[in-house]
Amino acid sequence: MTSPLIKRCLAVSIISLVGLGPVVLFVGGAQASYKATPYQTSRKNAGTPNSTMVKKNSDGVIIAYGNSSITYRAPSAALVTLGDALFQQNCASCHGTQANGVPANGTAGAFPDLVGLGPATINFWVDSGRMPAANPRSIEAIRRVPRLTHDQALAVSAWVNSLSPSYPDIPYPHLKNANVADGAALFALNCASCHTIEGDGDALAMSTFSPSLRKIPSIEVAEAIRTGPANMPRFTGNLSDAQVNDIVKYVTTEIQHPNNPGGFGLGGLGPVAEGFVGLAFGVGVLALAGFWVGERDD
Amino acid sequence: MTDEHRTPVSLSGLSSNDPRLQPAARHPELVERVISVCFIVGTLCLAGFGACYWIDAQPWKLGATLGGGLLFLGIGIVAWGKYLMPRGPFVEERHTLANSDADRRAFAAAIVERGGSVVQRRKLLGGLLGGAMGIFGVVVMFPLLRSLGPLPKKTLQHTDWRSGSYVVDQSGRRVEVGDLAVGSIETVFPEGTENSDRGQAVDQTVLIRVSNEAFTTMKGRETWAPHGYVAYSKVCTHLGCPVGLYEQELQLLVCPCHQSMFNVTNGAVPQFGPAPRPLPQLPLYVDSSGFLRSQSDYHQAVGPGFWERS
Amino acid sequence: MSDVINTKRAKKQALGSYGRVGKSLDELDDRLGLARGGRTFMDKIFPDHWSFMLGEIALYSFLILLVTGVFLTLYFIPSSAIVTYHGSYTPLDGQKMTQAFASTVNLSFAVRGGLLMRQMHHWACDIFVGAIVIHMARVFFTGAFRKPRELNWIVGSTLLILAIVNGFLGYSLPDDLVSGTGIRIAYSIILSVPFVGTYLAFWIFGGNFPGTMIIPRFFILHCLIVPLVIIGLVSAHLFLLVRQKHTQFPGKGRTEKNVVGSPMYPVFIAKTTGFLFIVGGITALLGAFAQVNPIWQFGPYDAARISYAVQPDWYMGFLDGALRIWPSWSFHSWGYTIPFEVLIPAVVLPGLIFNFVFVWPMIERKFTKDNEIHNLLDRPSNRPMRTAVGVTMLSFLGMLFIASSTDVLAKFFNVSLDTVLVAMRYLTVIVPILAFPITYRICHEIQTLHGGGRRKTPNVVARSAEGEYTATPSPRYVDDVPSHLEATPVPTYIHEESEESGESGVRVVDR
Repeated sequence: MTSPLIKRCLAVSIISLVGLGPVVLFVGGAQASYKATPYQTSRKNAGTPNSTMVKKNSDGVIIAYGNSSITYRAPSAALVTLGDALFQQNCASCHGTQANGVPANGTAGAFPDLVGLGPATINFWVDSGRMPAANPRSIEAIRRVPRLTHDQALAVSAWVNSLSPSYPDIPYPHLKNANVADGAALFALNCASCHTIEGDGDALAMSTFSPSLRKIPSIEVAEAIRTGPANMPRFTGNLSDAQVNDIVKYVTTEIQHPNNPGGFGLGGLGPVAEGFVGLAFGVGVLALAGFWVGERDD
Repeated sequence: MTDEHRTPVSLSGLSSNDPRLQPAARHPELVERVISVCFIVGTLCLAGFGACYWIDAQPWKLGATLGGGLLFLGIGIVAWGKYLMPRGPFVEERHTLANSDADRRAFAAAIVERGGSVVQRRKLLGGLLGGAMGIFGVVVMFPLLRSLGPLPKKTLQHTDWRSGSYVVDQSGRRVEVGDLAVGSIETVFPEGTENSDRGQAVDQTVLIRVSNEAFTTMKGRETWAPHGYVAYSKVCTHLGCPVGLYEQELQLLVCPCHQSMFNVTNGAVPQFGPAPRPLPQLPLYVDSSGFLRSQSDYHQAVGPGFWERS
Repeated sequence: MSDVINTKRAKKQALGSYGRVGKSLDELDDRLGLARGGRTFMDKIFPDHWSFMLGEIALYSFLILLVTGVFLTLYFIPSSAIVTYHGSYTPLDGQKMTQAFASTVNLSFAVRGGLLMRQMHHWACDIFVGAIVIHMARVFFTGAFRKPRELNWIVGSTLLILAIVNGFLGYSLPDDLVSGTGIRIAYSIILSVPFVGTYLAFWIFGGNFPGTMIIPRFFILHCLIVPLVIIGLVSAHLFLLVRQKHTQFPGKGRTEKNVVGSPMYPVFIAKTTGFLFIVGGITALLGAFAQVNPIWQFGPYDAARISYAVQPDWYMGFLDGALRIWPSWSFHSWGYTIPFEVLIPAVVLPGLIFNFVFVWPMIERKFTKDNEIHNLLDRPSNRPMRTAVGVTMLSFLGMLFIASSTDVLAKFFNVSLDTVLVAMRYLTVIVPILAFPITYRICHEIQTLHGGGRRKTPNVVARSAEGEYTATPSPRYVDDVPSHLEATPVPTYIHEESEESGESGVRVVDR
């Protein structure tokens, strides 16, 4: 038998569910109307190398690119034929046989144009396993076990680059020359705002996310920084090769092999995890201890 | 341990061999042996703590020995008190806290009549003293508050960006027009402030290249983003966190603290989240040597809202 | 000759029947008058239900905070002066940082036992606030705050506020990236107060953010001023508890006019000392195996740097959650701004919550019209309205805590961040409203349950000659004979100077 009070309470909760919903949505959701744009912009100016590190000859052709911090190498021309075959097999169904993109759902640029993006861009996506995409319709491709080997990925990037040679080339960082303390400072300023200061990644706006940096080889870190894949901004002239080298060293040493002298790292989630552990293990276990120390009633 | 089903008895009426003063455990010798083991283990752990400290062992070893020692000692002591000490329960009377009516009346009389009547007769003195205490209460707050810091005046309304300030990164290097590619972001400051606290706190600005050509974010800002370089204040208008999270495809600047999202292409208007105002945009221009410079200070106060913010 | 032979025995006799200890106590009594008060104190009876141990967790973690805190003050340098770190942690080697941060890194890596002390201190604080919260919940749900204990409730609620504040001040001291962001947010919250916000912020911080004064000021507040107030209030809390005597659950032999339990000495002192060691042990084990606040990974605070996935420590989470989900309402007219999107979640809401907590005894007295003294506790299910109000408040706060981890939830459940935020806006309103009638109903259901909430006693099943089975509940111990209070003569070894009252077995003590 429900008392009148209970009936009233249930009525209030149902009304609030129905009534407050639209109110909350109205004040919470839209301050300005947001039109969804295609997720892949058409990237002009994608291949601009670090403008301080480029040596040009008298004709204005770039002849040297890189230094003692990072060496940039274009993939070998001998891989182009293999790359062509691999591309037609694995990539052409979405990106087109000429790698210049295919409209999907009537939206231009949905499966993007890869021409002129530079070998490092292509190599990053393929070598990290993000491409071929597990779900081509997802907002952000997830990292997974790569479908192609390292050499096969290089071959694909060699072929795509051959369509319109561009920058950046594949970076090979020389970690022995890097300064991990400078890398820590640069990481905190440029990278921590998306990837978190511990490098674990997190959910970002809409359904995008920044990936964890824990299991990434050094070449891939450098490629990501220089090419800015997907929603990640690219760092070209604003970070010198020495600075990128420092960041790569910091990520591959401290982030990927943290010291953790204090015990278990609790997943790098910070105070959220600490709160759980403190309340569950600390207060919880002590409350149980109190249950033993004290008495129970009848 | 107290046995809830036994009738509570007063502590004082018991002889020393009363069964209720006997240990609570049914097998006290066994319990005693268990407690001895606990004590021995605890002592060994604490000795281990001393040893670990001596040899400068890792922190987890120090903590494990200390924790184990304290825990075992604690378990032993509690078990002693619980199982080997007199079982109860014992009872004690509560005495009403309130005193008798006569005492209460005398107390009230002392305060009201003895003290009160004195003030009643001297109303003028009472009033003057009350006023003096009031003034004292106010002026004593002056040094406690005002000496702590300066007056805000107009400090929050301006940054150090001026007409012609060079845009520099945190190492002091001037930003040139060819530096950033489309989709790049950099944290910049007016030249000279990049190492100062104030510079970092107030002047911090994000520089984003959204296109290769001049870009218009809003009406009236046609000259503000030359060559596609857009500059917004990095101080979030919600609570002041640096808005460093840039998603180049979504063209959103997301504040990492409470996830306010600002649209980079239309003047950093907030799309979502608790931020109330757009990020102020810094008007830029490119000088003859190719360096980026600011046309003027921000046209409004940067950062979170405050009363005098117009 | 008898003096020589019996010297030892004579000396022993001269000491009296309690030996050397008795003689010392006599000496103390000559000087301090301890004997009667001491006996009364030691005979004090403490009800020892397990839920009364929760406040002790708080008390003992506070003691641990004091001890580990003293260690930390010997090494921590509360200064914002910039120094260059040269030490064993390579990612910071050669970096410029404040002396506060550098000394904390030094504490963690160069001082023997320093990291353990730091972590124990931090874990003890998390446990301290958590224990206060569940202790308060126990007091609330059992009605222990009623007359005459309203004052103790107010003292305890103030202690909760001070514990939270001191925790915030403490974890902000190392001046690392994560806690420095929290200080920036605190600055903006102070700014948001209408009329006086800018003045207050400039005075508390000694100027614009960040300035150089805030770390030294936080240090003095955290190590001296607030702990002194806490110690004073804890002493008042315990004094009131001893003076008014502890409450107890109703049960056999328990009335409004007595206290049933174990005596202070030796039982309660033994159990509570053991519990202190257990609290210390668990805190040390947490400090050993669970890394907390690894400031070296965060790096020094720089106003232009920020990390994602930053939350304050758990007890500040309700403020962070409220700030995240509150819509961006802001008043801006006539040249003035009132940032309601900051003011309401961060100033008005906690103000309302804590004011509600403080005046709850008065509210309940008004509604129940109950001005009696209560020394017996309620079972929560017997007071459905109060229990429902408490659960509603706790679920509201719980929703705010969950709302502070929106990005972690989005990552964990693979949901869009925006969806999580909008969902939290709904849930924070709906879950508490739903919790009220559900709790109310559950309480009523428990009341109607025969023996609900009680421990099961065995049934004695008997078969009659006709073959009928009957089951009767048995007492716990089959050989337990219910006794009644009988008049027992006062044992001869107790010397009573005052007259015994006529009642049996009860000693009347003059106070």
